[in-house]
Amino acid sequence: MTATLRMRLPAAALFLSAVFATGAAVAAGKIAVITPYLAQPGTQFYVEAFQAAAKDKAWDVNVIDTKGDVAAVISRLEDAATQKVDAVVINVDPAQVEAGLAAVKDAGIPVVGMDAGASPYLVTNVTSNGYAMAADTAAYVANRIEGKGSVVMFVFDAFPPVQVRGVIADAVFGNNPDIKVLDRVTPDVSDGGIADSRAKMEAILAANPDKGSISAVWAAWDQPALGALQAIEAAGRQDEGIVITGIDANPQAREAIAAGGNFEASMAQDFHGIGAAAAEAVAQTLSGKPPKSSVTYVPTKLITIDNVKE
Amino acid sequence: MASALKTYGTLIGFVLVVLFFWIEIPDTFMTAKNWLNISQQVSMLAVVAFTMTIVMVMGDFDLSVGSMASLAGIVAALAFRDGHGVWVGVALALAVGLVGGLLNGALVAYVGILPFVATLGTLTVYSGLAFLVSGGKTIFGRDIPTAFSGFARSGISLTDTVSLPSLTIVAALVLLVVWFTLEQTTFGRRLYAIGGNKEAARLAGIRVRRLRFLAFGLSGLGAATAGLMYASRVASANPTQGSGLMLDAIAAVFLGMTMSEEGEPHVAATLIGVLILGVLGNGLTQMSIDSYVREVLIGSIIVLAVASSSLGKTKG
Repeated sequence: MTATLRMRLPAAALFLSAVFATGAAVAAGKIAVITPYLAQPGTQFYVEAFQAAAKDKAWDVNVIDTKGDVAAVISRLEDAATQKVDAVVINVDPAQVEAGLAAVKDAGIPVVGMDAGASPYLVTNVTSNGYAMAADTAAYVANRIEGKGSVVMFVFDAFPPVQVRGVIADAVFGNNPDIKVLDRVTPDVSDGGIADSRAKMEAILAANPDKGSISAVWAAWDQPALGALQAIEAAGRQDEGIVITGIDANPQAREAIAAGGNFEASMAQDFHGIGAAAAEAVAQTLSGKPPKSSVTYVPTKLITIDNVKE
Repeated sequence: MASALKTYGTLIGFVLVVLFFWIEIPDTFMTAKNWLNISQQVSMLAVVAFTMTIVMVMGDFDLSVGSMASLAGIVAALAFRDGHGVWVGVALALAVGLVGGLLNGALVAYVGILPFVATLGTLTVYSGLAFLVSGGKTIFGRDIPTAFSGFARSGISLTDTVSLPSLTIVAALVLLVVWFTLEQTTFGRRLYAIGGNKEAARLAGIRVRRLRFLAFGLSGLGAATAGLMYASRVASANPTQGSGLMLDAIAAVFLGMTMSEEGEPHVAATLIGVLILGVLGNGLTQMSIDSYVREVLIGSIIVLAVASSSLGKTKG
């Protein structure tokens, strides 16, 4: 009801937003948030945070969930272009919806990506910094083993977002002359990554039977870290002080970290922060000062036993 | 009056929906550009629904169309990835659709399995195959030739800003072919005879088994066509992307059936069913109405339409 009123009475809306914004500069507007993935927890967090920020800005937000249907995202983008919304926010691979993005662009409507992937059609894509996440965990490993020892790396260079993590970890370990990378393993991920990582880690443990011959396992995401943890525990070598780190801080990883075993750290993405930053990017764009960079990073957080329960 | 409402209730409902959006969204809804947009948005669903009409004329169902659409998209994308040309990929995908459809037909007509059960089985098989051959991954980016993904973005320019989308043209061609087949050929009339009474049709000398077999082949072919259109539109192929098409297609045919005196499916009526679904999606988005409300509305409209037509019948 209020939405309809606001549409019909733009002057009243301006007045109201001026009252509620307590003097801050606002650009009241109609924003369409379009995603096929609203059922996924991460996306829900982004969208909730975006809506909360939008409420403060007195925006009229329409969240459209196409329930996994990517072609429907294109249709809804076309509708948003017809409807002449003020801005569109997407959470989907831009390459798959280019037809719709082109229609939105033709209508002169800006699009902000919310963990969407880079695209020339986007003003900016708000996401977590893969480089920084890898640097944090690799530095954690290097510091925990005091700059010396043998490290096993689990990487996956075929998938670009994970490949960048491996490159950064290489640099961190390479910068410590007394750290030796024992093996750089690419696990088979067709079964989810845990089982094959465990098998690979078992082989490495067998090849390096002496206590202290392996100081740490750095994994580019959580599944290989969990597989390595299983292998180490199965081999009865959990008391050798092998440090394991992952990235993503999924629930299984958080559980392992909370248990206080070898799995010591992982990186959590700030989903709420991504939603709020996407709202900020929209606000900047509407006020005529769009973000300069095609990617906007939201800080991530190192999760250890000290903060895993938060 | 009651009989008019019974027959034209759905059509009147459609006109009311259009009028409602026209009044609520005066500037952008009733424009050529928006209607061409809608025609493009529903084109994939339309093709599936049109060919689904062929089997529903006989009182049968094809539940496997959604997974067949996904599988066809994957087959074409894999062919492209292996360096084959656009036409090779398209031909392969259509062949898979035809063979898959004929397999459904064989199970239904010759083995004698209920269509609901047979196509529920093949739904799972085709979906599994799509996952198997693709490794569960989305095929996109450079693997998809621009000539293929460009098709869905192309069209015939009508004015500077408005063009008739290629996908709409494909759907219109399928509509014409299905209309001609069902309404103007002996093949089509015999399908209606089977739908009326299988046993009587058989005794009248109609080769019921062969016709059912072929009709399912056409449904599979239509599903594959829609799968290719979908893959072209999203410039990628994913093993689940067609799965939403099946229920919407059946809903569209049901909506259309309410407009026939005898409760038979006719492809022109199916078009109205498809347009109702498409117009609701388009108009409600433009009115910024929650996407879940849209689901509830669409479901309610289907039930209302079918209820009004069957209530009319019991009274009459």
